Amino acid sequence: MGEADPDEELLARVAEGDPAAVRAMVGRKLPRLMSLAQRMLGEAAEAEDVAQEAFLRIWKQAPRWQPGRAKFDTWLHRVALNLCYDRLRRRREIVTEDPPEQIDSGPGPDRGLQAQDVAVRVSQALARLPDRQREAIVLCHYQELGNIEAAAVMGVSVEALESLLGRGRRALRVALADMVER
Amino acid sequence: MASMTQERFEAYAEAFGGDVSRWPAEAREAAALLMAEQPAMTNGALARAGRLDAALDAWRTAPAGATLIGRILDTAPRSRRGWRLWLSPAVLGAGLAAACAAGVIVGVQLSDRASDASEVAVANTLSAVSSPSLDLGEGA
Repeated sequence: MGEADPDEELLARVAEGDPAAVRAMVGRKLPRLMSLAQRMLGEAAEAEDVAQEAFLRIWKQAPRWQPGRAKFDTWLHRVALNLCYDRLRRRREIVTEDPPEQIDSGPGPDRGLQAQDVAVRVSQALARLPDRQREAIVLCHYQELGNIEAAAVMGVSVEALESLLGRGRRALRVALADMVER
Repeated sequence: MASMTQERFEAYAEAFGGDVSRWPAEAREAAALLMAEQPAMTNGALARAGRLDAALDAWRTAPAGATLIGRILDTAPRSRRGWRLWLSPAVLGAGLAAACAAGVIVGVQLSDRASDASEVAVANTLSAVSSPSLDLGEGA
């Protein structure tokens, strides 16, 4: 048996309809769900839909949750990622060529990089990565999951995770070379 | 403890970034030893990875808004005890007063969109936008 799941006790209280537990669960998980979905989808409105849908799954799953079988946060990340992939798939059915919002891939020659420019460049570069490389970077860098947990979410070995991270970050380094190479 | 080669160190930095405390636990000790032995090489690899980390960190996401939080709370499980209490006249009055106060606080919060600290934003909004029915279980 591994270490105790920090969400289990809260989840049990949510299942009982404890209002304080419900609010605590929203406070604990909503920022992470919004972060994950925005980084995977590249925009906030769809991320809100994913977060809301993920909470419906939480409320439904709470009374059925079996302690010790899986870590709740791992399960929740997988659920949210599946919801993101559903949306990405729908987008690709409509636009089969380049990813959306891929305009202006670099700074103009006569202006320096502002913080907002950097953010836009990063979001565009991440959007261009293959899905699994982007997923690995989002889980490890932005969601700050450890390698074992991120690999569990992705259903791959820790070696495969490291490979996805390495390839993804190398591609980002090339795309953002003017900012990160000296 | 297995020793770490330069190539392996660079591969870890490339995959997990420039902060060794975020590397896999099993690699950190060997990495620290190599950092003591070869500071120039290891510092260079970490600085290079750190520049990419910093660029990635420049992308801040929008915090969850009060409307979304309200929608999520509306779908949450409710205890029967809470509903019974909500229907009592005393709690109905208190709930209405709380709702008025919450409206003021949410108004103030919505006017301050500059904060990018999404966790703080959600926590603040939760303390302001708790529907009367969801407040009932506490202290009862």
